[in-house]
Amino acid sequence: MTKLWNAQLCTALGRGLRLQSTAAAYFPSEPASPVLKTTIPGPKSSERLAELGKVFDNRAAYFAANYYNSIGNYIADVDGNQYLDVYAQIASIALGYNNPEILKTAKSDQMANALANRPALACFPSSDYQQILEDGILAAAPKGMSKVWTALSGSDANETAFKAAFIYHAAKKRGNNTFSPKELESVMQNLVPGASDAAILSFEKGFHGRLFGSLSTTRSKPIHKLDIPAFNWPKAPFPSLKYPLDQFVTENKKEEERCLAEFEKVIQQWSTQIAAIIIEPIQSEGGDNHASPSFFQSLRDLTLKYDILMIVDEVQTGVGASGKFWAHEHWNLTTPPDMVTFSKKFQAAGFYFALPELQPSLPFRQFNTWCGDPSKALIARTVYQEISKYNLVENAATTGAYLYGKLESLSGEYSSIFNLRGQSTGTFIAWDMSSSAKRDMFLIESRKLGLNIGGCGDVSVRLRPTLVFEEKHADVLVDIAEEALKRLG
Amino acid sequence: MSVPEVTPAEVYYPNEPAAPSVQTAEIPGPKTKKALEELAEVFDARCAYFVADYDKSVGNYIADVDGNVFLDVYAQIASIALGYNNPALIEAAKSDRMISALVQRPALGNFPSAEFADILKDILKVAPKGQTKLWSGLSGADANELAFKAVFMNYQAKKRGYNTSFTTEEETSVMENAIPGSPELAIMSFERAFHGRLFATASVTRSKPIHKLDMPSFHWPKAEFPSYKYPLEDNEAANKAEDERCLKIVEELYKTWHCPIAGLIVEPIQSEGGDNHGSTAFFQGLRDITLKYNSLLIMDEVQTGVAATGEMWAHERFNLSPPADLVTFSKKFQSAGYFYHDPELTPNLPYRQFNTWCGDPTKMIIAGAIAKEVVEKDLAKKISVVGDYLYAALAELSKKYPTEILNLRGKDRACFIAWDSPSPAARNAFLVNMKKNGVNIGGCAETGIRLRPTLTFGKKHADILIQAIDKTLGEN
Ligand SMILES: Cc1ncc(COP(=O)(O)O)c(C=O)c1O
Ligand SMILES: Cc1ncc(COP(=O)(O)O)c(C=O)c1O
Repeated sequence: MTKLWNAQLCTALGRGLRLQSTAAAYFPSEPASPVLKTTIPGPKSSERLAELGKVFDNRAAYFAANYYNSIGNYIADVDGNQYLDVYAQIASIALGYNNPEILKTAKSDQMANALANRPALACFPSSDYQQILEDGILAAAPKGMSKVWTALSGSDANETAFKAAFIYHAAKKRGNNTFSPKELESVMQNLVPGASDAAILSFEKGFHGRLFGSLSTTRSKPIHKLDIPAFNWPKAPFPSLKYPLDQFVTENKKEEERCLAEFEKVIQQWSTQIAAIIIEPIQSEGGDNHASPSFFQSLRDLTLKYDILMIVDEVQTGVGASGKFWAHEHWNLTTPPDMVTFSKKFQAAGFYFALPELQPSLPFRQFNTWCGDPSKALIARTVYQEISKYNLVENAATTGAYLYGKLESLSGEYSSIFNLRGQSTGTFIAWDMSSSAKRDMFLIESRKLGLNIGGCGDVSVRLRPTLVFEEKHADVLVDIAEEALKRLG
Repeated sequence: MSVPEVTPAEVYYPNEPAAPSVQTAEIPGPKTKKALEELAEVFDARCAYFVADYDKSVGNYIADVDGNVFLDVYAQIASIALGYNNPALIEAAKSDRMISALVQRPALGNFPSAEFADILKDILKVAPKGQTKLWSGLSGADANELAFKAVFMNYQAKKRGYNTSFTTEEETSVMENAIPGSPELAIMSFERAFHGRLFATASVTRSKPIHKLDMPSFHWPKAEFPSYKYPLEDNEAANKAEDERCLKIVEELYKTWHCPIAGLIVEPIQSEGGDNHGSTAFFQGLRDITLKYNSLLIMDEVQTGVAATGEMWAHERFNLSPPADLVTFSKKFQSAGYFYHDPELTPNLPYRQFNTWCGDPTKMIIAGAIAKEVVEKDLAKKISVVGDYLYAALAELSKKYPTEILNLRGKDRACFIAWDSPSPAARNAFLVNMKKNGVNIGGCAETGIRLRPTLTFGKKHADILIQAIDKTLGEN
């Protein structure tokens, strides 16, 4: 059966290059709309989740998925329901479920080899690793960046970038490679000067992960942070813009100026060195908060002025969804950021950089057992190649503009949705609802209608579809959203 | 006449080479050098010993791009369980389950697949005694930090009540990274310990300055790990006194540290820090003290786990009662995470122990396949037999080279064996010369040499290893 299905896909793919719809080319049997067979969650989902709960924390689970039956933009559950998925594994599925090209990569001998013989990459790199990087992760590098360090998740990517920043600044201060006896001794007691008292500055409502270093920079919600020891690191305000943007031009400009002034004050007053700032192009978990290109350009200028590194966290915004491959390309910075971190849609994680000094001058400082994962680098390569082949960044931009237009009309009709944002950031769109309770009800109601959709921040709904999300899917999304709004009253 | 037993390596690898084959005068060879130059333009390649050809690597032998084939007793820093291109793992890698898990990697916390519970159960079948649940991560450091988070949340929950809500003060202070929301709590670790290199794990890692320098670090307590005199049987009284001395330091730190110590993390055998062993009495002492001071015990089995020492989990030898509170794993299991059993180590609310992927089913499928092979082929027992043979041969060899093979350790710990060189320079030269003699072997700490072969390492491999050591030391 799968053979036949594959054969159909191949012919369809051949045509696909000429067809309008990439989704139709990849997924000839993608449903036209959601398929609902049971109440949500269905009985089999409930049973499977209960079973899982005995050995694994299952309380965040919405349903038990059937990934064999999921296709394109539709995710299936074990009860035979198929949802249009605009959450896509928390923004981490790039090309749709059971994408035939990713399947091909997954079935390749190269993949089987990478899985069965996982190397300690830094010590015994495989002969093909460089080529895999160059054809994939590095081919996609943001302008001005030519090197990469690989990691395993968004948190891990950010923390390795922090390490690079701390080591960079310490080396610069020290001026050579000789550690003083005092440093060598104190570091083993976790005390200065061998251990650093430098800091990473992050922004209010920023989200950068949940390990101890990254969690110290995460400022989204108390529940993400409570009870975990944290570094005393500084934070600065992120602009709270008013919508629609064209009606609040002066107010928003003032707000950004206020934040920049506050930022500069924090830098001037902080008592220890600030090695780097970390910032998301669009604060995602924290509520899809946007700021203007000029805000980011000013931040860049200030980081250069104060000799602070700039890390742009593209874990959620990266890899096409914003209508640019990297969302920070929307800013046209005069000097590129120092590091750009990635994960999620790329499946592989890590950070890009340009300055050679961001690689510590001694080996085995930025190091661990695996230093990445070639099996994920193989997937990243295919993701990149398919995005290029089908212009999927362009697709995100045009589909996003279409979807934004429809949502704008909807928000005109329903006063319960407001602060629509993401007008020119592809499908990276969000809006607010009047309360957390209302927002949560909207998400549940939508799921019952066959739309798998996620929230962020306290009152926001965010769209994080795949890159093969097209106008026809946008129509289904808007119809269901409208129906859910009606039901909420 | 008894038929010689067919070894696991012979079953899996009919084409495994009979001996190493060294083709180039220098290691790394010219092709590796060229490849590394290119790699270095985009990726830090300075730790690389050679560029490997994994297509050509088989069983206990790793091939490089110059055509050299080494007997591998380092095995990707102790992370290859069954050998290269193991047919059972290749089969797992090509299974429908694997393909699906690769193509649509789920956010496991939110959208687990229907078969995820089954995948987990394959791992839990070999869980350490007394452990019934797991939370999954991606690497050793990740596993340990997730364990720390569970420990801290549990500590605060015990204080305020598992189901008690947070106070407003906690909720506001935590956003400033300040107490009481971000509490001042510590994890105790030991001198020479290695637990990883992210920020909290680097804080408990105490192996070498270079692992820690220039990183902000939590001010957490460090106890002393026993330093035994070898051979153990001749130094029982001294070593017992050493255990007591170290346990006393642990207890003293619990009494005097400036903030509560929520947990203690320890390796069953300190690996990166030099293959330092502790006695059963020492570990039982730790269990007692942690109970007395209401602190949780985390056994870091990242390097010792998955049968490497002849037991599925090295700490099972210590017969701890009650069992360890958390046991972390990674490396040979490919999948990472921690086992636990107390339901209150699951935080009171969802989304507290959480991240995008919450582990990786592709690695869990591999872990399940490894677990199955270890059990079915009785690899823990088999590697113990080989280990006894190897240890005896090394003990013999140490008589021939009494100034070169010092402090031989790891008796009755399968092939988890190490010894010291007289100096760091001698050790480093030994590692290089062993490669020239066809063996890929690793060091630990300043002067340690450690054996970390796969679980299919057999007597014939042991013989080749012994010959190569003899030859290398004899060339001195
Ligand atoms: C911007 C950003 N950074 C970092 C992370 C952390 O990634 P992970 O969950 O893979 O650790 C996330 C996850 O949502 C994110 O959105
Ligand atoms: C005992 C122990 N714990 C933790 C780690 C860290 O593991 P990783 O390198 O996967 O982060 C190691 C790695 O050598 C280890 O030996």
